[in-house]
Order: sequence, then C-alpha cells, then structure tokens
Amino acid sequence: MSAGETTVPGNGVPGVPGNGTTGVPGNGTTGVPGNGTPDVPGITPVLVRLKLSLLRNGMRQSSGRRAAFILSGVLALLFAALQLIGLIVLRGNEHATTVVVLLTALLGLGWAVMPLFFPSGDETLDPTRLVMLPLRPRPLVRALLTASLVGIGPLFTFCLALGSVISVAHGAAAAAVGVVAVALTLLLCVALARAVAAANIRLLSSRKGRDLAVLSGLVIAVGIQVVNFGAQRLSNAGGLAKLDPVADVLSWVPPASAIGAVDAVSDGAYGRGAAQLLLAAAALAALLWSWERSLVKLMTSPDGSTLQAAEPARKESSRGFGGRHLPGGRTGTVIERSLRYVWRDPKTKAAWVTSLVIGLIVPVFNALQGTGTIYFACFAAGMLGIQMYNQFGQDTSAFWMVAMTISTPRDAYEELRARALALLVITLPYSVLVTVLTAALVGDWQALPEALGLSFGLLGAMLATGAVASVRFPYSIPQGSTHKNVAPGQAGLAWISILGGMIAAALLCAPLITLTIWLHVADADGWLWLVLPLGTAYGALITWAGVRWSAPQAAERLPEILSAVSKG
Amino acid sequence: MPEETAGPEQAGGARNAPPAAVRIEGLWKRFGEQIAVGGIDLELPAGKFVGLVGPNGAGKTTTLSMVTGLLRPDAGTVLVGGHDVWRDPVAVKARIGVLPEGLRLFERLSGRELLAYSGRLRGLPGDEVDKRATQLLDVLDLAGAQHKLVVDYSTGMRKKIGLAAALLHNPQVLFLDEPFEGVDPVSAQTIRGVLERYTLSGATVVFSSHVMELVESLCDWVAVMAGGRIRAQGTLAEVRGDAPSLQNAFLELVGANGRDTGESLDWLGGGAG
Repeated sequence: MSAGETTVPGNGVPGVPGNGTTGVPGNGTTGVPGNGTPDVPGITPVLVRLKLSLLRNGMRQSSGRRAAFILSGVLALLFAALQLIGLIVLRGNEHATTVVVLLTALLGLGWAVMPLFFPSGDETLDPTRLVMLPLRPRPLVRALLTASLVGIGPLFTFCLALGSVISVAHGAAAAAVGVVAVALTLLLCVALARAVAAANIRLLSSRKGRDLAVLSGLVIAVGIQVVNFGAQRLSNAGGLAKLDPVADVLSWVPPASAIGAVDAVSDGAYGRGAAQLLLAAAALAALLWSWERSLVKLMTSPDGSTLQAAEPARKESSRGFGGRHLPGGRTGTVIERSLRYVWRDPKTKAAWVTSLVIGLIVPVFNALQGTGTIYFACFAAGMLGIQMYNQFGQDTSAFWMVAMTISTPRDAYEELRARALALLVITLPYSVLVTVLTAALVGDWQALPEALGLSFGLLGAMLATGAVASVRFPYSIPQGSTHKNVAPGQAGLAWISILGGMIAAALLCAPLITLTIWLHVADADGWLWLVLPLGTAYGALITWAGVRWSAPQAAERLPEILSAVSKG
Repeated sequence: MPEETAGPEQAGGARNAPPAAVRIEGLWKRFGEQIAVGGIDLELPAGKFVGLVGPNGAGKTTTLSMVTGLLRPDAGTVLVGGHDVWRDPVAVKARIGVLPEGLRLFERLSGRELLAYSGRLRGLPGDEVDKRATQLLDVLDLAGAQHKLVVDYSTGMRKKIGLAAALLHNPQVLFLDEPFEGVDPVSAQTIRGVLERYTLSGATVVFSSHVMELVESLCDWVAVMAGGRIRAQGTLAEVRGDAPSLQNAFLELVGANGRDTGESLDWLGGGAG
C-alpha cells in the first residue's frame, strides 16, 4: 500500500533540481546526462524508499510477525554492538589481524550464499519484479545497490567492518584507508549478494531453487557445528597462531583484502596496502559489471518458469539406481522408490543429510578432541535409524497409492520390510565406515568388533521401533512450508513417536549392552568379539520381529494412516 | 431417502439390467457434528459410464473414498463385483482403479517411473508393466514428458498420469473423482476417448463431477447427490425426466430452481442506464 504510494510519484522525488525533463547535466545520480529518460535521476531515492516501505510493511502484517521482526532486529543490533565492542577490545592484540580478516572473509561468504538459501528474504533482490519498468541498467544497478544498503543486514555488516578497522588501524594514514575499507567492504558484501542473486534468479524462481531452500536450515546447523568445533579446537590447541597462514592468504581475497590493506598501512607497508585496496576496488567493479550484465540478460529474456517448461526432458531409464540388481516384486520396487526419494525429495534429503552428518560429526569430532571413545560410533546407527520413523508420513498423502495395493498383512509386511531394507542399503555401510573411522582415530582397533555389534543391535532396535511407530503414530510432514516438519496439532504425536521409540530402542538394546559390560567386568576380553555376531543376529531378529508385529496393524489401519498423513 | 430412491431402483430392476458393479447399502460418515454422508443406498450397473453428480460439499469425494477403501465408513456396506470392500480387500483392490481428488501422487518420480512403481506394486510382471506404460503414455499424449518429474507436470498432465496409473492393472471398475477438474480441453478430450474405449470393453467407470453438461454428454447412468444423500438415480433419461436438460432436472432435485433473483436485483442492468 505505502509501497505503491512511494513508487508512483516518481517525478516528485527530491534531488532533482528544477525541471526533470531537461536532463540536468552532471546530476551525479545518473551519470547519463541528457539521455532523454527524465525519471532516471529519481530512481535511487525511489528504490530506497521502496525498501524502507517494505521493511515497514514487514512489521505491519501481524503482531506476531512484528514481534519477531523487532526481536530479530534488536538481537542483530545487540550482537553487532557486542561484536563492535569485542573488536575494539581486540585492538592491540597480536592476533587481531587474523581475527578480523577471517571474520570479514566469513562475512563475505555469508553474503554470497545468503540469496541462494533465502531467496524470498528480500523482495527487492528479485530484479525481475522491475522488468516492466522503463529503466536503464546502469542507473538501476546504482539504485539497487544504494537500496540494498538499507536494512538490518547491512547495518550489522557496517558495525563489523567498522569494528574490524578500529581494531587494526594504527595511525592517521591507516585511519584514512580504514574509512575507504569500511565503505568497500560494505559495498562488496551487498554487491556480492546482488550479483549472486541476479545470476541465479532463474534457478531461485524455479522448483529446484525452492528445493534448495529446504536444505538451508541444514547448512546453517552443520555450519554451527563446524564453527563450534573449530573454536573448541583452537582454544585447546594453542590458539589463533595456527590460523595465521590462512589469514595471510585470505587478506588477499576481497572483501577481506580491504581490511588487510588497513593492517598493511598500519605496519607501514604502503605498497602492499595499496595493492590490497585496489584488489578490493577491482573486485567491486567486476561484481558490478557482472551484475549489470545479468540484469540486462534477465530484463530482455523470458522468465525462468517459461524456460523450465521448454527444457528438454532428460533421459533416464525406468530402472535406474542399479535397479537390475534389486529383487523383483514389491520389495525391489519399494526399495527403488525409497532410494529415489532420498535423493530427489528435498525434505527426505534434508533429513537424511542431517542424520548422516550428525552421525559422523559426533563420534569423529569427539575422537579428534581426544574425548571420544569408539562407542560413540553407535551414534551413527542411532541417527540413521530415526529415518525409519514415520515412514508413511514421508509419503504424504501419496500414501493412498500404497494403501490401494495393500490387501493382506503379507503385503504390509513386504512393504515395511522393503522400506527397512532400503534404509539398510545406506545405513549398514555407513555405520561400518563411521565405526572403522572412529576406531582409527581413537586407535582402539580391539574394540572394533564389539562397537560394530552394538551398532548393528541398535540399528535393529531403531528399525523395529520405527516400523511400529510408523504404523501406530503416523503424522503429516507439511510440504508447503520450508522448515516445518510436523503439521499443526500433531506435534505431540511426533514426539510420542520418536521419543517413545528411542526409549523403547534403548530398552531393546539393554541385553546387548549388559552383555558387553559384563564381558568387560568379568575380564573376559577374549570373548568380546562375540558381541559382533550376537549383535548382528539380535539386530536382524528384532527388526524382523518389529516389522512382523506391525504388519497386520498396518494392513488393518490403512484408512487411519492415510488420514493421519494427509493433513497439511 | 427411501421414497427418493425407490422409483429409480424399481425402474432399474424392471429393466433386467446387468448385475451391479457396485452395491452400496446404508453408507454413513460423520465428521464431528457434520454428517458428510447420511445413509446412501446405491446400485451402479456394470459396463456403464456412471456419473455421480452434485454441488460442492454434497459428499461425493467422501462417498468415493469410502467405496474405494481409502476412508472407513461409520456404517454401511460396499460391495464391488459382489465382494465386500472391507472384508475382502484382496478381491476388491485387484478389481478397482482409483483416481482420487486432493491426494498427491509420488511426485518426485517421473511419469514413467510412477507407472513402473504403481504397476509393480500391484504385482504385475515388470515387462508387462513397461509395455502397458509405454502404450498408456502414448495414448494419453504424455510420451514427451515421461522422463519429467510429476512435480513439474501441469494439472491436466497430473490427471492423465493418475488415470494411466489407475488403468495400468486393467481394473473392472474405475473410480475417478473430478477427473476433468482444471483440465484443458485437449487433455479432457484425450481422457474422454480413453474412458469411452474402456467402457466399450464392458468395464465400469464411476466418476464424480459438478459439471452437468459433461455428465449429460458422457454418462449412461447418473446418481444425483446433495447434502450427503442420494436424490435420484437411474438412467440419464429417467433422472432427466421431463426437464429440458440434466442441469434443470438437477437444480429441481437439489431444490435450487426456485431461487430466482426475482426483484431483489431489479436495479441491476448496466446496459439499460
């Protein structure tokens, strides 16, 4: 509403002295004097005001959203202020340069990937929305760039850049370079996001782009894990000195090179500083140039959806995935479909990647930190076993296609068994890999058989309880929203299913764990290898029992399962 | 309801019609306070093109879901080819094909993969599935898009691939819920052609719709539904009666015919002013 109000009076914007139609030469905003497009001088303020209106309207929609918006804004500002203070405190520290260079590089990376994962985050990021307006690319680039400087993100970046410069700038010359460096860093970050978004807008507005967005939460979660681990490792292992070489390299990579220049000038290395600053400026120019090029291309060619539809279909055999090696009948068919979904369905893929990564990170990182034991490798089996839960919810309402073909408990048994087998195709080799890797890192090869046996036993328990929970407590996984995994009103069900299942799985594993502990306590270490065959057999047995037990219920409860997984 | 259904039923019996493909008795479904289907008795003749018509919210989808075993009724029995849907699912599920409305397909499979999956789940031999899939994709004009993921299909293409999946195992009775909703005229004509050919072989098609013209041009036999009940059933001629078209007969049955705009909008007439 107010967005419309601000865009319409394009002629009445400030900054156009006198009559706009004359094309005031040297107006500064345009750079294209007398080119006969009178509205061009006004485009920058218009876009800035559009951005402000969008920010304001974001708060207007509902009180919940407003609260969330204000809260996130306040948090971001608080965080930025803390960072600023922290960086200023860092001034004089011998590793200050390393820290700020790394921080700036990380910041640049963040800006570069942000548009890929949050395509809808900023509507003005999508230049195709402006395609109907008579605008020339160069003034448009300038206007969009200026408008992008408005917002919480740029403010946050500004605080960081400012703090970085303050912490490393010593002397008047360095301070002067610092002012330029802050501006360059900020512009580089913003231009980076814009250029990446414009270059990928076709991808971002297509289904594939939306699929990609589903994985964003995952990237952040894993990123936090890695950063967390890195920080711990640094504090353990003698600190930042280790990162100095990395920072040396990164200080030649824009936008970190701008900060590197400030540091160089502080040290009196004027030549190096000038080179680094020039590098940053050149990178900015290159980014703007490539951005302008993709803008021109976007504005003069049909949009992504049209092109997608016209794209030639790729060839693919109907029995891919080594389908020839799969057993026939329902078993092979279901395994094939399940594996295809792991790869193709963004929600399933995100869940799998999360399990795979966390299942690897926990034992391996613990081992690297010296706090791990080989038994942590069981974590991989446990994490992957979770995928057996809510099997039918993962089908969404397409479960009707399965329901139509299940008429007997035998059909249901084959269906569940095939799904468990599909899981095992990935899970078994992966658990072995993680266990062997952990054993190598911990150097505890002796415990490998028992750890493998425990892993397989746990996996079997997860598959068994997963099969039962899938039939007893199915719930919907909403497909529309990106980050929701439970339909409204079914959260309790989901918790019962997973939490109860895990407790049950732990109980089911108790005999195996007891045996292992007993063998240790009884000093019968020579017999510990027995845990491997016993664990494998036990896991297989309870999986079979769980699937067998839940199959008649599945066949009986088909309509109830369908209605439970069709919500949302 | 007894009086309402008595006439057409007697008429059907008197004609010595072929045995019923689907027989529904006393079917009830209640969602909370709302009665979605309030005691339906229906007998659908075999080898016919049967239309289940009614306004939105009449209970058509609920009825079809219960008949095909996708929704458990509160009461009543459904027999398909003489077999009880809930007591003898083995016999029933092999004999029916379903295209539901509002439920997804496995959309991350390509059209061909979806057919391959669906046919093999039904226990057909792989070669036979692939052969039938090729022919169905050809006839339904989907051959060009067979390797595209169903998630990228248009509405018409989705209906067609759903129809192909429902036909793959050559069922005796085909249940289609709003098969022409949101479908472009070309795809609609293709679907029609396939269905007409299929009924000629003696199979039964039961489909729901709220487009009367379509039902009138396609069906031999209609059941009119409103408010969760059957208002009339019989051959097209019987249900139409003296009314000039099925549309008029339907409006009369549903009781919407008297709702003339009358004088309440007498000011409306942009052309006159």
